[in-house]
Amino acid sequence: MIESKSLDFDAIVVGSGISGGWAAKELTEKGLKVLVLERGKDLQHGSGYYGEHAPSWKLPHQGKIPRQLYDEEYPMAKRVFHSFSEANRAFWMNEKDNPYVVDEKNPFMWIRSDIVGGRSILWGRQTYRWSEQDFKANELDGHGIPWPVDYKEIAPWYSHVEKFIGVNGRAEGLPQLPDGEFQKPMGWFALEKTIEQRLQKKAPDVTLTSARTAILTEDLPGRSACHYCGPCPRGCSTGSYFSSQASTLPAARATGNLTLKANSLVERLEYDPGSERISRVHVIDTQSGERSSYSARIFFLCASTIASTQLLMNSASETFPAGLANSSGVLGHYMMDHTLGFSGMGVFLDNMDSYYHGNRPTGLYIPRFRNLNGQDEDADFIRGYGFQTMTLRTDWQTGFNKKGFGTKLKQSLRKPGPWIFTLSGFTECLPQQSNRMYLSRNKVDQYGVPQVAFEFEWSDNERAMRRDAMVHAERILKAAGAALVMPGNAEMSLPGEGIHEMGTARMGDDPGQAVLNRWNQAHDVPNLFVTDGSFMTSASCVNPSLTYMAFTARACDYAVKQLAAGAI
Amino acid sequence: MNRREFMQCATLIVTGASASQLGFALSEEQSQYLASAPNYIHTAVSYFNAEQRAIVTAIADVIIPRDETPGAVDAGVPRYIELMVSDWFSDDERAIFDAGLKDLQTRVPLELGRPFVELEKDQQEQILEKLESAAGDSSWYEFGNVLRAFISDAPFICQIKELTVWGFFTSEVGATQVLRHDPMPMEFDGDYPLSPDDSTWSGGLTA
Repeated sequence: MIESKSLDFDAIVVGSGISGGWAAKELTEKGLKVLVLERGKDLQHGSGYYGEHAPSWKLPHQGKIPRQLYDEEYPMAKRVFHSFSEANRAFWMNEKDNPYVVDEKNPFMWIRSDIVGGRSILWGRQTYRWSEQDFKANELDGHGIPWPVDYKEIAPWYSHVEKFIGVNGRAEGLPQLPDGEFQKPMGWFALEKTIEQRLQKKAPDVTLTSARTAILTEDLPGRSACHYCGPCPRGCSTGSYFSSQASTLPAARATGNLTLKANSLVERLEYDPGSERISRVHVIDTQSGERSSYSARIFFLCASTIASTQLLMNSASETFPAGLANSSGVLGHYMMDHTLGFSGMGVFLDNMDSYYHGNRPTGLYIPRFRNLNGQDEDADFIRGYGFQTMTLRTDWQTGFNKKGFGTKLKQSLRKPGPWIFTLSGFTECLPQQSNRMYLSRNKVDQYGVPQVAFEFEWSDNERAMRRDAMVHAERILKAAGAALVMPGNAEMSLPGEGIHEMGTARMGDDPGQAVLNRWNQAHDVPNLFVTDGSFMTSASCVNPSLTYMAFTARACDYAVKQLAAGAI
Repeated sequence: MNRREFMQCATLIVTGASASQLGFALSEEQSQYLASAPNYIHTAVSYFNAEQRAIVTAIADVIIPRDETPGAVDAGVPRYIELMVSDWFSDDERAIFDAGLKDLQTRVPLELGRPFVELEKDQQEQILEKLESAAGDSSWYEFGNVLRAFISDAPFICQIKELTVWGFFTSEVGATQVLRHDPMPMEFDGDYPLSPDDSTWSGGLTA
């Protein structure tokens, strides 16, 4: 055990986003003095959301994007067009100033934030539990290594997190998508209810449910129910969607045990061979360039998958020449992401005299329906995918390239057109040793840290699922009664485009095959925990953030008990 | 929090203090709240000469005229077009626009004996219709051409139409007086009555 009285902090958490905020909250609430180090700029909750509620006529170019600037400085972020804009650009990492190695032929899309709160300010807010089937998948089909944790063990931690962050959704009783602690679901468009009734008759194998979303429909302490203004990624001063800024960081601050430093890039973890522990973190101030270091008893890496893995790799030492805590050699390998994309679109002429009021900042969801009871006979792939849906009433933006002039054009553009209902498949990605990130040997960033590089290829299984999603999207849209079905595509998204990169420091019971044990604790280094997406041993097809949060809370509980027992 | 309380809270946040007083730590260019910034069309610009400005104004007025509701000129669209041509277009796009404008400046008086701005409105519309039928092959007119980048080789008539329609429906006048605007709905009602003459909501920008 390391003596605590001479140390700067009890715990150091690297990163202040979805996982780091949870680590800060849980550890401070258990009485630890915690330092959170965030490489991004400082950002005040509420007052820092400079684009919030700005109408289109206030935006630069009234919302037309500055193309040259985006091409030169945000070539990856600009692809996240549903989230990235002039109303929040300062929240994103400038890619020109902070490069990584991009293979022009097969680019990896690494999306980074540059603020306290991390990507929890910018995320899609989709919040789903994994199922028993997800945790068993590796063991059953032999891809990757078995998960050391099952659904029953993590379920109480899912509940713990859901109650605190606030998740709206509808209970369905589906084994492949377990229900959680839900606030009342958001309303549905009349068209969506029409579609649901038709699917119940014509595609009964498919369930249409409310997207489970970390947005409040009921007030929580210090946070208000959604006011339906629309564009969440500009930030929400009422804290209506979950972000660490709105939720976990204020809770941590309230304990009096939190110290948070922005502009603090963690360069390296120092391993002490004598105690076989991490002793210090070495930090670069991104504004002044000054270097400093801090000591603590335990260290939580929550910097996001790629950044945490980069930090471990850059902390190689005599004891760990291939990267800190990497005696297994798997660090950086088995990287996964979700392939996603447009699988099909239906144009609907139903409910034309029904409209809407308010901007619902989420869609509906069709949970996985393939390979649920063993292998489907007609499936040329293993595992499965789900559909995220979007409903919109067409308006001038979807028809401004019409011919004609004058009052007739003006009148046609100002009125609503038909409904559109789209399906986007999110497919599970298999863990493969060859999909990896590594440190460049000759390229460093402005701070002298080696740049990250990637090698990533989708497998035939993911390709087959994208094709299957397109076929079933067409079936579902026809069953839903679309007047016109526009087929989607089976194109593969760029690796990383799902912004669900994960798996590069996976957990498993066998120290020879995994970086982390079942408690997110490094097999090799007992006072080191990694609880962002790095620990993921497989990917499921559902959005992963809730699972990161649940494992983070569980790892904090374990770490504090181990500290109390004198085991760390 | 009800709607009134919410608006009070939002107003306080936006107007109560300058960004730096609130500990705002983002870059200089982003240090202003967009919601309390001047409207984009109030940005200074001087790219067209008086004759060009008059032609652009006349065209915008043909594309979206004032009828029982305000039109493009009321909404400041000519200024929007001048700003976008000056600040937003690439050099190639600007060259297409400038040539298109020049063509109207020189050809119309030769063919019709009077400058474009002195023609009757239906004559102006006929000229634009001819330009549009000549441009009919442009991919700009493709169906479902929605979430796409600006089409860089689009002809002059498509450029000015896109800027007029976009500039109009995202303007304060167009969004609030021709479309319907509700910045703080406080509810989601997915089955809200729609009469045959109702306009859409403005503010469809998702990001």
